[in-house]
Amino acid sequence: MNNITIGQFIPGNSWLHKLDPRIKLLSLVILLVGTFLIPISVSAIPLITMLIIFVGIMILTASSGIPMRKVLNGLRPIVFLLTFTFFIQLFYVKTGSLVFDPIPMYISLTSIVGIILFLIFYNWSKKYIKTRILYFFFAAFMVFFIQASLPYVGFTSYTLYIYDEGLMRAGFIFVRITNVIIMTSLLTFTTMTTDLNYGIESLLKPLKVIKVPVDVIAMMLSLTLRYIPTLLGETEKIMKAQASRGVDFKESKLKDKVVQIISLLIPVFVISFKRAEDLGNAMEVRGYIIGAKRTRIDQYTIGFVDILSLVMAIVILGLIIYSKVIS
Amino acid sequence: MGIQFKDVSYAYKGLKVNYDAIQHINLNIDEKGEFIAIIGQTGSGKSTLVQHMNALLLPNSGNVVVFGQNLPPKKKEKINYLRQKVGLVFQFPEYQLFEETILKDIMFGPKNFKSTEAQATEMAKKAAKIVGIDESLYEQSPFRISGGQMRRVAIAGILAMEPEILVLDEPTRGLDPKGRRDLMAIFKELHEKENKTIILISHDMDLVSEFAKRVIVLKEGLLVFDGTKEKLFEHPDFDSFHLDLPTPLKILKYLEKNVGISYQPKYDFDSLLSYLKEVSHE
Repeated sequence: MNNITIGQFIPGNSWLHKLDPRIKLLSLVILLVGTFLIPISVSAIPLITMLIIFVGIMILTASSGIPMRKVLNGLRPIVFLLTFTFFIQLFYVKTGSLVFDPIPMYISLTSIVGIILFLIFYNWSKKYIKTRILYFFFAAFMVFFIQASLPYVGFTSYTLYIYDEGLMRAGFIFVRITNVIIMTSLLTFTTMTTDLNYGIESLLKPLKVIKVPVDVIAMMLSLTLRYIPTLLGETEKIMKAQASRGVDFKESKLKDKVVQIISLLIPVFVISFKRAEDLGNAMEVRGYIIGAKRTRIDQYTIGFVDILSLVMAIVILGLIIYSKVIS
Repeated sequence: MGIQFKDVSYAYKGLKVNYDAIQHINLNIDEKGEFIAIIGQTGSGKSTLVQHMNALLLPNSGNVVVFGQNLPPKKKEKINYLRQKVGLVFQFPEYQLFEETILKDIMFGPKNFKSTEAQATEMAKKAAKIVGIDESLYEQSPFRISGGQMRRVAIAGILAMEPEILVLDEPTRGLDPKGRRDLMAIFKELHEKENKTIILISHDMDLVSEFAKRVIVLKEGLLVFDGTKEKLFEHPDFDSFHLDLPTPLKILKYLEKNVGISYQPKYDFDSLLSYLKEVSHE
């Protein structure tokens, strides 16, 4: 329950931390659009641009003072997706030329036993490995390697063709998803939720013309983020209270699980309503009026670095579009 | 049997550092006949300590033995049954209510411990009677009664499991003086009639001095005092515990200093009153 890292801010003093939140958000959007505009093809230009962006992001991370391990941990929830797309691309793209000679793969008694043994070993050994993401990729690779190398007592076999285009596409999509995730997690790592909230609010301001209550939406967003840890704490308390009444959240049958979840949901629901009411009153007592003009304690000013970063982002986008047009 | 703590430490894990909640606790609690108050400043580890008693928290180091069950348990050893033997009532227990009717909510505990419907109903009715919930309320929603009654229902939910030891984390917090006294009277009756061991966390020194027999004082995660209340209030280092004296003792000390009535420890208002009457007759 404690490893939820939504909006996890890591305090720091780098230029990325000091960057104006509006500029940061805008640059992020521009760079994201840029990354998705790079066409997937085997020619040199898109590949090089993608790699340049990847290197650029690595430099950004290093300059922000966020430990690289934290950033890579942000990839953890999508490791499975990454691996899956990688192999799908690898197997189903059948154009281009062969990279290797066709590799015969065997589904045999030995290979099945080998895979099972390896998976058991993997589950046991992953506790001791620090770079778990890399280890997971290695495990996925090993599953195929074992199929290729243990042909004895076979049931059936198939042949694996690896084309260069497939390999390229797979690698390309892999790097693209990684880029997007690292970029967005850099934003949340270096921006406080209040700043982020301000950035969203002022970027959405033009929508006020068509009567969208932008400031209310921004306030709702920031309150939601603010209350995630509080509600998690309350949930944990209720879990303990119900555990004291004999609810066993770990080991029980599916039929009991339903009642157990209800015994958790209803109290948390009731508490969150109560909290919301208290918060509403507390805000009103301190003079919060919906739609009234509010001033801020922090004034945001756009400086030279801010403008430079925005220009850089636009230039990168421009170059990507240009390369797309000429190719 | 009962509960034994052997050199128990527990630390909450933070992002970078761990926060020691309790350290090197040694404690022995009998199965029957104890009325223990656990006191200490906010953050001294009281709640952490009691959560070890029904295995909600497992010690980082050291051993807790609850009714012969060693904690932390061996792999695949079930510990859920301990929560029936040691009933733990949390702070503001009224938040744990969730069923449609009061009676059903009280039955939730016994049903979790494999009682049949009829048994559970019987146990629930008995528990409701102990805490003074009227029969006419049984079929009402637990969300439509007053806060004080909600707390009684929640406590009945634990009592209905018929625990051998009852642990209460600040049961009187947020109640008015009368509600406080009524609730304490229920625990006292349970203790006297069924000889149940009752463990109580409280900040209210008046309640501690009136009801508890034995007092455990925690300070910054360490156990600094364990003994009878008579010994505690006469302890030479009493000031170092950062505790307040109960009101009867304060009155008696004041009277000794300013009026010259000789000091004799009295732990509740009734005995204070009769002592003062006695003195004034002389």
